[in-house]
Amino acid sequence: MHVNSENILSVKDLTKSVQVEDKTLVLLQPLNLTVAAGESIAVVGSSGSGKTTLLSILAGLDLPSSGQVYLKNKPLHQFNEEQRSQVRAQHVGFIFQQFLLINSLTALENVMLPAELANLTDARARGEALLEQVGLADRLDHYPSQLSGGEQQRVAIARAFIAKPDILFADEPTGNLDSKTGQHITDLIFDLNAKEGTTLVLVTHDAKLAARCQRQVEMDSGVLTEPTVEQVSNNAKTSNVESTKTQHHDVETQNSAAQATTPQVG
Amino acid sequence: MMSSANQKASTMWFTQSLRLLHHELRRGELTIIFLAIVLAVATVFSLTGFSGQIKHAIVANSTNTIGADRVLRMSSEVDLSIIEKSQSLALKSARKIETESMAFAGDNMLLSELDAVSETYPLRGELRIKTSLTQSESMVVNAPKQGSVWVEPSVLSRLDVNIGDIIEIGVAPLTIAGIVTDIPDRSYRAFIAGPTVILNIADMPKTELIQPGSRITYKYLFAGETDAIETFETWIKPQINESQRWYDAKAAQNRLSRILDTAEKFLSLASMLGIVLAAVAVAVASRRYGQRHQSTVSIFKALGASISHVRKLYCLHWTLLSCLSIATGLVVGYGLLLLGVNAIASYLSLADAPLTFVPFLTAIFTGLLCAIAFAIHPIMTLVKSSPLNVIRGFSQDKVARFGLHQLPPILALFLLLFIFSQDLVMSAALLLGGVVVSFILLLLGRGLMSAGRSVGTKAGKSWHLALANLKRRASENSVQLVSFTIAIKLLLLITVMKSSILSEWEQQFPEDTPNHYLINITQNQIDPLKTFAEENNIANQGFYHVYRGRLSAINGIKTVDEDDHDKPAQSDEKSGNQAKQETKKTEQKKSRQGMGRELGLTWRTELPEENEIIAGQWWQVGDEKPQVSIESNIAERLEVELGDDLTFTLGSDEFTVPVTSIRKVNWQSRQLNFIMVFNQSVLEQFPTTSISAWSILDKDRDLVYRFLANFPTITVMDFAAIMAQLNSIIEQVTVAIQLILILVVLAGSLVLIAQVQASMEERERELAILRTLGAKGSLLRNSVLYEFVALGAIAGLMASIGMEIAVYILQSQVFNMPGSFHFQYWLLGIGAGAFFVGTIGMLSCWRLLKLSSVTLIRRTM
Ligand SMILES: Nc1ncnc2c1ncn2[C@@H]1O[C@H](COP(=O)(O)OP(=O)(O)O)[C@@H](O)[C@H]1O
Ligand SMILES: [Mg+2]
Repeated sequence: MHVNSENILSVKDLTKSVQVEDKTLVLLQPLNLTVAAGESIAVVGSSGSGKTTLLSILAGLDLPSSGQVYLKNKPLHQFNEEQRSQVRAQHVGFIFQQFLLINSLTALENVMLPAELANLTDARARGEALLEQVGLADRLDHYPSQLSGGEQQRVAIARAFIAKPDILFADEPTGNLDSKTGQHITDLIFDLNAKEGTTLVLVTHDAKLAARCQRQVEMDSGVLTEPTVEQVSNNAKTSNVESTKTQHHDVETQNSAAQATTPQVG
Repeated sequence: MMSSANQKASTMWFTQSLRLLHHELRRGELTIIFLAIVLAVATVFSLTGFSGQIKHAIVANSTNTIGADRVLRMSSEVDLSIIEKSQSLALKSARKIETESMAFAGDNMLLSELDAVSETYPLRGELRIKTSLTQSESMVVNAPKQGSVWVEPSVLSRLDVNIGDIIEIGVAPLTIAGIVTDIPDRSYRAFIAGPTVILNIADMPKTELIQPGSRITYKYLFAGETDAIETFETWIKPQINESQRWYDAKAAQNRLSRILDTAEKFLSLASMLGIVLAAVAVAVASRRYGQRHQSTVSIFKALGASISHVRKLYCLHWTLLSCLSIATGLVVGYGLLLLGVNAIASYLSLADAPLTFVPFLTAIFTGLLCAIAFAIHPIMTLVKSSPLNVIRGFSQDKVARFGLHQLPPILALFLLLFIFSQDLVMSAALLLGGVVVSFILLLLGRGLMSAGRSVGTKAGKSWHLALANLKRRASENSVQLVSFTIAIKLLLLITVMKSSILSEWEQQFPEDTPNHYLINITQNQIDPLKTFAEENNIANQGFYHVYRGRLSAINGIKTVDEDDHDKPAQSDEKSGNQAKQETKKTEQKKSRQGMGRELGLTWRTELPEENEIIAGQWWQVGDEKPQVSIESNIAERLEVELGDDLTFTLGSDEFTVPVTSIRKVNWQSRQLNFIMVFNQSVLEQFPTTSISAWSILDKDRDLVYRFLANFPTITVMDFAAIMAQLNSIIEQVTVAIQLILILVVLAGSLVLIAQVQASMEERERELAILRTLGAKGSLLRNSVLYEFVALGAIAGLMASIGMEIAVYILQSQVFNMPGSFHFQYWLLGIGAGAFFVGTIGMLSCWRLLKLSSVTLIRRTM
């Protein structure tokens, strides 16, 4: 496999294991994965299967035990903490399950943060615009503690998009929310993603949510597999009945995306 | 575009830091740290500034605390040859007589300090008066005209007189011509008989106050060219005897500034406890701060912030916080300083004393030490937080108990101690002593908390929970426990000592206990007084002849007074101290410790009441052999034993007598007591005045006062007035110490609040679990309340034990009183501790207890 310049993310022979006392615990079996620019990909799998571990390595928060990770052609596996910070500031956006807003900053200031770290000049204006887009125009000066879970996650979404990231990582973004709010949040993420043309890596154990991505990969006990197109559309048909419109769109694009990238199964 | 982005990048951390500080301050996250630093800085600033200004006003500023270049002080008139010699050297000279006397106006009388001065007084410095109360500028003067006096303002109010009225000093009527505002050689003694009255020395004979045996100080002031003064000094020094002193302004100032230094040192070391606690509060609060900010740092880093960005951000954040706290501390400290200056304005005007940079530097340095040394470890750990935490969750990593990170606080403590004590050995000793005491208290406290835990199982549900929690948080609680114990102990100690010194003296005396001393009674006044007392049934102790003299040698070895090294003119600087040490080592050396002052001597044929012979024998009536009986405490201090020969100097005479008995004297009775009592033959020959102690009942008071007004040369000292003065001195000292202890309590409370906040999340979780299990609100509230009440009570108990030990040591070793127990203060200590800590604890948990159970439970999900 060669490193395709169109691939925003490409992973080769990645493994992760940790030392627990005197035993070595293998969290990720050797795996390969490429993600094309503009693509949306879902990582599904049951709790404890290693999804978050994978995501943290892809995003440059953690280092692999072996193998290579290229993000925007930058060898993250060779980078130190500081260099990876820089990559994150310039290319990466995050949405976490626990929202992870900074409690002592207001909604707007939380949103502005990545833009400021990436040295963008119009942080405030962009922040205000984004908060308006997520429906929080009147909550700019509220602190996280004054917002509900759904509202906090909307702030986090605005924060994720402000610095115009090339790639967005979302780890169970609706995991802490009730289904109705979760639905709303999901819509927001996909809407904004479509509008900004951002690459999306979505980690979830929710098949319905996964089906909205162009492409799905599955994590099972540290092993990454990519199901066939039929499997995916079946899953989507059975589990995602209400949102037929987006589902249709998803399935359509899914086919072309599946052709564009080579599934690599470790 | 690019360059502007870069520019922005270079200041972004700055903006973000300001933003963080702004929000944190508003949200109250930094309140404890802020208050702790403010407290430390304000204390140090006000204390250092205050003592610095006092010192400046008294010592440094007034080059003329003695009103001359040199002073010769003695208890009798000077030899004429000395004056002649000074004149031959073209020196200026002035005379001053100091004594205490009654001042009369109509039916009012007032004990006052009398300064009789000659026309040339003062030679250096300024004597200033105002000739009317409304006059704004005072004027510089010398002696008052013959027939007139200048008085301190309080004389007017206390005698109910005005400028222009006549008052009687002794038997001389004198007109008040002005009020004194500045006296160049004012004395700063603790006991001052009353306000000062200045008269012309030529009027002194008219007052008839000077009698043989009167307590009178003669001062001869000299000033002139340095050469001439030095020539004079070389000439006069060899002639100075034991009952005379020759000193310059520097010696007087040194002595004063040494006293002030000691007071300052004592107060700042006492306040050290508060400062250390404030620092501990900073440490505890900044640890929690570090933990709470972990997520912020991790999110910052996850979003791409570099370490240096985060470091700069928090360094600035902390620096700004420190600066803000220190600046506020300086302002608050300045306010306190002004309060202090105001409070003593009637004694001493500090208006012109400039604030030096010393208090600023010391206070700022203290603030920086608190803010940096005690917070550096948590902040550095914080900055290192990994971005991976956003994925893996936030650890409450336990900081290692002992390690290098504890070095900065310990060094800082040592540095603080050193700044305030300026003494390496002392700092080390205090640090070590503090550690040992804390350790003992810790062990004791742990024991009591465990004991409480087992008692708690048998108590109610709330108590059970409370004591279980107290024990589980034992290590966190120990800091508060130790600090509250020490604070309560010192407060109790001061209260107990104050009341035991005062009330055990003032306690119910029998009705006929003397309440007035009559001093300066001439021989021909004794009979009329005696008759009057008999006729009016006034209980009295009879009349004692008083002779003023010094103990000048023991077994032929000259005595050296404790403060002799203040007088470089008399003997070289070191000899006093050295001598004292040498006497201790090799008994027979060239000098021995003396009494340091002139004594009232008397003779008796019979052993006075309330005296008990503990060694030797009282002399037989008619025993003509000269001998002396000495008081037991003094004998012990001077290491005088039966059979030792004591030499006394009375004016120009000197005599030596053997000690034939040692007496134990009950000083707490108000009887007239004498340290040295001779038999008649020793003193008979010398001229004398007498002294008596009368118990004047309230109903007889007017009668007696009117009668005594016929003898204006007699000085009447009302015991109640003396007690009032003593009271006010003790009151002032205790107020100063209590202020500092309040500071200690405040700092202790900050530690408590910081500690409670640090345990807040844990407490929330516990409460939520209890709630889920169905615990009632009252149970939860009580269990929280009782935990603090128990903590305070344990601190109070330990404090009471500590206080009792300290009081026992003080009473038996220092005050020579029988030791006594003070159980009522145990109750006070335990009660106050429980109440105070309970209240503070409840207040700081208020938010927690107000939360609805739904919120509580949701929080733990
Ligand atoms: N640093 C670590 N040390 C030990 N075990 C870990 C570590 N990180 C992750 N794990 C384990 O690896 C497994 C996968 O974790 P994770 O990636 O969070 O799963 P998922 O996100 O799919 O639920 C879990 O069993 C987790 O306990
Ligand atoms: Mg996960």
